[in-house]
Amino acid sequence: MNEERRKILDMLAQGKITAEEAEKLLDAVGDPGSGTGAAAGTDAAGRRIWKYLRVQVDPGPNSESGDRVNIRVPFKLIRAGLKFAAFIPREAHARVTQAFKEKGMDVDLARITPQDLEEIVSNLDDMTVEVDGKDKVRIFCE
Amino acid sequence: MLPMLVRFKVKEPGHHGFGLCFPAILIWILLAALMLVLLPFMVLAALITWQHGPGMRLLLVYPLIVAVIWNLGGLTIDVEQKQRTLLIDFI
Repeated sequence: MNEERRKILDMLAQGKITAEEAEKLLDAVGDPGSGTGAAAGTDAAGRRIWKYLRVQVDPGPNSESGDRVNIRVPFKLIRAGLKFAAFIPREAHARVTQAFKEKGMDVDLARITPQDLEEIVSNLDDMTVEVDGKDKVRIFCE
Repeated sequence: MLPMLVRFKVKEPGHHGFGLCFPAILIWILLAALMLVLLPFMVLAALITWQHGPGMRLLLVYPLIVAVIWNLGGLTIDVEQKQRTLLIDFI
């Protein structure tokens, strides 16, 4: 339990606030039961700062492989790793772009700037992908 | 956060698994020593290729490697397959 939630519950226990007020305050500080906020803090603007990108694959009832995957990547590592993109030789850009096209992605590596990469990483926190097929795939931030 | 411990585990059904938990700091010390030894060569290569090659980018490799290693802490890869189970955890 974090400090803010404890204070709210203490105030409720001491009768300083009503149950309704406590509920509103608890909603305002975030829901720990969502399972995604445990590792995240907040910045000065009150926006959550996510620490990890999680990829989870759990086998569904009709799963053939039964594979289970649990990957947790720190966002700082992603940021640091993306800077290595600057080391891809210019001669290789065309081949990488071609490889992207073959996979159905129209991405020109030469046009991607470090600012673009930073923006992509910054906005990953808005992303939650859940796929229920033979396997259940979840990609989210925490 | 610089990872101090690395957990590594591989297991295959019907075989004895292999698990290892070792202080990563030893690797970082060895790597730092290696980087220090290579530094003069990197500076030389950067100076030679400054005009028409990678030049300054070669020098940037060092801080980038340090940044990647420093931020490895918390990286967890846990894969369970029928044939194999693999766990790599930087703590």
